[in-house]
Amino acid sequence: MEIDRRAFIASLGGTAAVSMMDSEAKADALEHWMEESLDEQAAAAQGGTPEKFPTVAELDAQIETRNYRRGTGNVFVNTRGNVKKLEAMPKNPTLQDFFRLRFAPANHVLQSATRALKTGMSEEIILACLLHDCAQALMKADHGWWGAQLFEPYIPEKSAFGIRYHQALRFYADPDAGYEYPDLYYRIFGQDYTPPPHIEATYKMLRNHKWYMEPRMVTVNDLYAFDPNAKVSIEPFTDIIGRHFKSPKEGLGNDNSPSAHMWRTLGNPDAPL
Amino acid sequence: MTIVGQAGQSVNYKGLEVVATGIERAQNVALIDCPPTTNSQRGNARAGEEFVVVSLAFKVTPAFKETIVKKPVLTDASGKVYNTSVAIIDPGSQPEYKCSFPFRVATGTKVASVQIDTASIDLASLEKK
Repeated sequence: MEIDRRAFIASLGGTAAVSMMDSEAKADALEHWMEESLDEQAAAAQGGTPEKFPTVAELDAQIETRNYRRGTGNVFVNTRGNVKKLEAMPKNPTLQDFFRLRFAPANHVLQSATRALKTGMSEEIILACLLHDCAQALMKADHGWWGAQLFEPYIPEKSAFGIRYHQALRFYADPDAGYEYPDLYYRIFGQDYTPPPHIEATYKMLRNHKWYMEPRMVTVNDLYAFDPNAKVSIEPFTDIIGRHFKSPKEGLGNDNSPSAHMWRTLGNPDAPL
Repeated sequence: MTIVGQAGQSVNYKGLEVVATGIERAQNVALIDCPPTTNSQRGNARAGEEFVVVSLAFKVTPAFKETIVKKPVLTDASGKVYNTSVAIIDPGSQPEYKCSFPFRVATGTKVASVQIDTASIDLASLEKK
């Protein structure tokens, strides 16, 4: 079972209270917490008392309990301890190198792309699914736009469109297309969250766009890619990457493309300036 | 050609025997593909809506050849058709399995049948009175 460390510590009265507990008390508290969480999940699964989700105000109140911003990219922060020294990138790094050394384990995007592949979606959509959240290594906030900008010098326009706009469409259920609003967003944005005006305007634009289904299918596969037991790898996508990802011979970050600097930042996030 | 069956009776679709085993209604449903995975996400209905969750049991016969099987669709008593977010993936990977397919409908919608491509199963008898 995955433990929400922050919620667990908060349930005990915060870090100060935890620091006063001996090891046995901490172990008992953790066991109790896990049992309760499991019971809540089981009850919810059986249609019992549903999980209580935070409000936007409650999530805002947590901001000053952290020493990082929630929108920070994954390579820059470790919420559970110190960051580790990163293996250096090869001289001419490829997309696969970034998957191995900076995006790993990348289970979610690999699951998402695997589902797109197995349900017979287009290669542009499969590629979009494979890449849709990779920019979260660099920046979580507005990751759809960041991701599209990162990849668009190298991939089909439809794939970049799917990556950019999945960020807006994920807030709007579309049962005809097979997309439901997930619990996850109640949990991380707040149950009373309403998307900001630019997201609402983007959604309205997309509803009438001929490529609506590109980002919509990214959101559909996104939903079904949170399986902790799924076994996935990048191997099934080697050919699709080969056909659709214009890998620069100098390596990503060395090719002077409009997003080369973003790849360099991912390659060396420890650069001080 | 349409293959038609009643709830509780199996319908054979390209070598897959499919039986409708139940209908439930819920506001919050697990989003798990078919055959079942351990995906952790759940979906929510909005005010005035609910999910009709149709349970189907599948049996893979020797006649089945691996192919992409279309998602089921639900038809209500007025003939309106509804889609599900659950996909059937690798349908020949297990000899038998049971899956739940949620369809978001207006609260109280009476359902008539579920279809997988050309196979149709009548659901009216599974509706709780």
